Amino acid sequence: METRYVGKSVIRVDGLEKVTGRAVYGVDVELPGMLYGAVVRSPYAHARIVDIDTSGAWKVAGVKAVVVGRDVPYTFGGQVKDQPFLAVERVRYVGEPVMAVAAETELAAQEAAERVRVTYEEMAAVFDPREALKESAPLLHPDFGDYWHVPLYEGVAGTNVCMVRRLLLGDVERGFAEADEIFEDEFYIHPVAHSPMETHAAVAQYFQPRDEYIIWSSTDRPYRLLKELVQALGVSLNQVRFISAYSGGGFGGKGAMVAEIIAVALAKFTKGRPVKVVCSREEELTASQTRHAAFMKLKTGVKKDGIFTARKADIIWDNGAYSSLGPDVGFRGVLTILGPYRIPHVELLSRLVYTNKEIGGAYRGFGTTQVTWACEVQMDMIAQKLRIDPLEIRLKNAYVDGDSYINGQILRTVGLKETLKKAGREIGWGQPKPAPRGSKFRGKGMATMLKPTATPTDSYCFIRVNHDASIVILSGAPEVGGGQKTVLSQIAADTIGVPLSSIVIPNPDTYYTPYDMAVASSRTTYHMGNAIRQAGQEVRQKILQLAGKSLETDPSRLNLSEGKIFDEGGRELITLQQLLNKIFGGRGGSILGEGHHSPAGSPLLAASPGQEAISSIFWMFGTHAAEVEVDIETGVVKVLKIAAAHDVGRAIHPALCEQQIEGAVVMGLSNTLFEEFKMEKGKILNDTLADYKLATTLDLPEIVTILVESYHEEGPFGAKGVGEPAAAPTAPAIANAIFDATGVRIRDLPITPEKLLAALKRKEQTEKLSQEEKAVRPG
Amino acid sequence: MKVPIDLTVNGERYELEVEPRETLVELLRERLHLTGTKEGCGTGDCGTCIVLVEGVPVNSCLVLAVDIKGRQVLTIEGLAGEGGLHPLQESFLEKGAVQCGFCTPAMLMSGKALLDRVPGAGEEEIKSALSGVLCRCGSYKKIVEAVKAAGEKMGGKR
Amino acid sequence: MKRLRPFRYFEAGTVSEAVGILTREGVGAHPLAGGTDLLVRMKRGDLAPGALVNLKRIPGLGGIEREPGGGIRVGALAVISAIEHSPLVRTSYPVLAEAAGVLGSPSIRNLGTLGGNIGRASPASDMAPSLLILRARMLVEGPQGKREVEVREFFKGPGETVLSSGELITSFLLPDMAPGSGAVYERIGRREGMDCALVGVAALVTLSGKDHGVKDAGVALAAVAPVPLRAKRAEQVLLSGSLTEERMKEAARAAAAECFPISDMRASGSYRQEMVQVLTYRALARALRLAEGGKA
Repeated sequence: METRYVGKSVIRVDGLEKVTGRAVYGVDVELPGMLYGAVVRSPYAHARIVDIDTSGAWKVAGVKAVVVGRDVPYTFGGQVKDQPFLAVERVRYVGEPVMAVAAETELAAQEAAERVRVTYEEMAAVFDPREALKESAPLLHPDFGDYWHVPLYEGVAGTNVCMVRRLLLGDVERGFAEADEIFEDEFYIHPVAHSPMETHAAVAQYFQPRDEYIIWSSTDRPYRLLKELVQALGVSLNQVRFISAYSGGGFGGKGAMVAEIIAVALAKFTKGRPVKVVCSREEELTASQTRHAAFMKLKTGVKKDGIFTARKADIIWDNGAYSSLGPDVGFRGVLTILGPYRIPHVELLSRLVYTNKEIGGAYRGFGTTQVTWACEVQMDMIAQKLRIDPLEIRLKNAYVDGDSYINGQILRTVGLKETLKKAGREIGWGQPKPAPRGSKFRGKGMATMLKPTATPTDSYCFIRVNHDASIVILSGAPEVGGGQKTVLSQIAADTIGVPLSSIVIPNPDTYYTPYDMAVASSRTTYHMGNAIRQAGQEVRQKILQLAGKSLETDPSRLNLSEGKIFDEGGRELITLQQLLNKIFGGRGGSILGEGHHSPAGSPLLAASPGQEAISSIFWMFGTHAAEVEVDIETGVVKVLKIAAAHDVGRAIHPALCEQQIEGAVVMGLSNTLFEEFKMEKGKILNDTLADYKLATTLDLPEIVTILVESYHEEGPFGAKGVGEPAAAPTAPAIANAIFDATGVRIRDLPITPEKLLAALKRKEQTEKLSQEEKAVRPG
Repeated sequence: MKVPIDLTVNGERYELEVEPRETLVELLRERLHLTGTKEGCGTGDCGTCIVLVEGVPVNSCLVLAVDIKGRQVLTIEGLAGEGGLHPLQESFLEKGAVQCGFCTPAMLMSGKALLDRVPGAGEEEIKSALSGVLCRCGSYKKIVEAVKAAGEKMGGKR
Repeated sequence: MKRLRPFRYFEAGTVSEAVGILTREGVGAHPLAGGTDLLVRMKRGDLAPGALVNLKRIPGLGGIEREPGGGIRVGALAVISAIEHSPLVRTSYPVLAEAAGVLGSPSIRNLGTLGGNIGRASPASDMAPSLLILRARMLVEGPQGKREVEVREFFKGPGETVLSSGELITSFLLPDMAPGSGAVYERIGRREGMDCALVGVAALVTLSGKDHGVKDAGVALAAVAPVPLRAKRAEQVLLSGSLTEERMKEAARAAAAECFPISDMRASGSYRQEMVQVLTYRALARALRLAEGGKA
């Protein structure tokens, strides 16, 4: 089908608002009578709350509400219901909210919060999830066995194991027996902050007579929060309304309630006045959400020609104090430690473990970022030992169209090899290495990955054509920066046959926009895009029927394009506006279309009996190739270039795809080289952006994005997804390039200059020693 | 304690009574309801609060309102002129330099300050001028391209 | 974000007025210059002055001018970006402009002042090492009157200076650099931009014109001692003969040996010490090229 907008990099539909400073984000929401919240937080990682004396807070002028855990005795948690609104009898991490204040000004609320006296009795705490697994470890959730949880996620009551998954496919012992070489390695990936430029913020208002709540939030998944809140409060879905503001970035961290919970807790006690809670940057960094850290043990069996025979993986995810989205991360994330490779025998153990730290949550990649680190560094170690080129060994094992995934699902639209070859070509793979300049050594490395999307999930939408031919799309997918509104508008415009400029797509509001699972899992273009196609086709057919009736022609001989009705010969007969004016006269009216997409039941998901749950409706593939320059005297790594090739199915908007990929490359580079929490007794010391360092313009490498289009048969116009994959391969690509440059292998992130310098020295020592040994014992 | 100040914001003159503890970003966002300028950290580390004071980019979270007495401030809301968008705003749209948009106002104001001073600014100068604004979406590549293109549009050649 | 707590506010019209208010108010009052350090500390609760005395309305403290007798005067309220871009500084004291250009971020440089930076007496001050090797002096005014202090005598400890209650820095005096001199500033942070120095090294060499003989040398370090400090033994090494590769390396080793960096959340002491050696050598090599009339 010829498209006018799909495939083109049109101007973003939310662009004008954003370049003029008119876009309203969560932090910008202003309502009449609004109060401001502040939070008192635990200074201890694990402690009993002995006493809370709130009297001091009331002495500050302008204070309207002071709330403690007992006042809001609810727990929430969409996967394991383990988190109190405000701590009740104990605190489980430094920064856990213990009390909240609402006042006329933010200053008054902060002053009041400072005057509260909380008495704690410190308890033993545990910070390392491996320690937390020991029998002697302090137990964070002694009542875990009583918590409601989604049946899929099994934990172990009486321990700190929040979720455990075991998966056995084939016979790993046989696989290892068949191998020529066995590699057993351990990897660590550190926690990082999402640190969006807009901190978590929300406004809540409570209407007591009907027990109703309105929440303004910049979450990426209003329906998930809605479900979670409704479950916690014991009300109906239509008693809580989530209104979306634009999001100033989320990267997954706004997929859980942080500011919302505090705002709701306070709103219950402010006699109907709305309460705004804005997290400070310190709270954002230390008391919101992080990426899960993970300890990964990887055992891989390989033939001497580089073909995999078996893999066994043991992953311990550091959950932090509450489950949030952790169970799902641990449950699904573990699968992608197999990489995009054919491996006949597989044994996986994934354990999500509570620790007395900041909560781990959804972070771009949802576990794939972590496991790709282990998988792709080990891949290079294997390549090195077997003396096979790292690109070659990946190509040998890489999936191709028609391969079976581990559960028997047939993989289609596998653009993987194309991404490997193109990224390799762009970085100049195989070209002779330039000589070092002084202390600066260059090297190249690559990494590849695959990512599924959560399957099955649902998106619903409505399309409404007004009687002047202007159009409103009602979609529950928030604009989080990825261009969701633009892509969906493009799809609608081409499906219906109208100008892009006639479409408006307001921010979601759960009173008006129907269910959408989330803007997450790189799913929106595909799922909401398909829902839009369905609704768009319905609206288009209705219009053509009306045109046929009005023009006394067979509707099947008419075409609607760019808001005009044409006959078969391409002659313009009437504009849509004129047609609707004719039909509705002076009365007014609407033409409605309804869309719902879920991949459930699709033949593409077919798998071995009982294994369908592992299938994904689409698989994304991406390869990053990096060139770095390492200063071996300082340990400083300069990333010169990253070639990022991604199979997106179809680029609905090429520039938006580039934005996602370029952006995730920068984020990956930043995570890998600069970001690190410095902790002491569970307290994060570097709680400002002065000391939690993000990449700036001066750290920007050359980035070349390569879009590979494999055309998914059920995706809208062939599209798959793009938001997450680029987050994963940058770290291993850089690490592998560092190895190429210096011969130093780093297996734990981050790669700071200090760490690299120390590793370089150790290598120098080892080489010196072995040379000396050789000298002493010749031959 | 209230201090009377007069100041001009986006060409409009205001007479206000402010508290010494009030920062310029609070004045802009809360008193004047100009929420285009953001406060991402409050400690001068993220740049999202950058506005121009007589053409000079400053972190408004670290400027006291009392220090703006008699001064002229330009915020994102004042960037577009009577005739339409500023070339920088057009360029950001054309080059796809906006993702979530939260850092966009600060990037635009920093870009304007640079191009007004160095019309034909090259890539390195642009990166340097924008190095104090953090973009977590990672839009730096397209942002730099957009500022360069705007500079060329504005007639600056090197 | 964190809000500033209320404070009493004074605007001084002259230096003596400022001195008077500060003396009268005592320890509860703090001078306000650029605010880039003070306001941050107040928001974080590290400092809670009952009163701020705004110095920025005092005329005549912001300039950068030639002194009639030689050298330049930089007013205490000169903002860092003015120093960075000043044609006078760039031609006559490029090391000072170089240091100014890496401090903070562009917008912070438009607010922060030299007096504020030096007065704060952070061991990691980016501006201090250059002033030390340039043999700068400061003019100070207080309730007892005016006096001159050499920058190298100014710092007593982290955040501690020789200023007594009510005293203010009013300007900095830099003597002319001798012909045949080259001076540079090297530093390392955790990323390319917008960082405090993990280690900063300013190095100056003045060649005697014969076989790389050294007439004068200066090496000053930031962030590796309780105060910004001159590496005296490194300087002695440099003055002991002609400036060869080996001598520069020896000086670098000496500089590393005479600092005592702490380990903190930003870097370990041993890494800092190692970087002193690396950066000192690099600074000397660049300073030498400049002194020879080439480009750094």
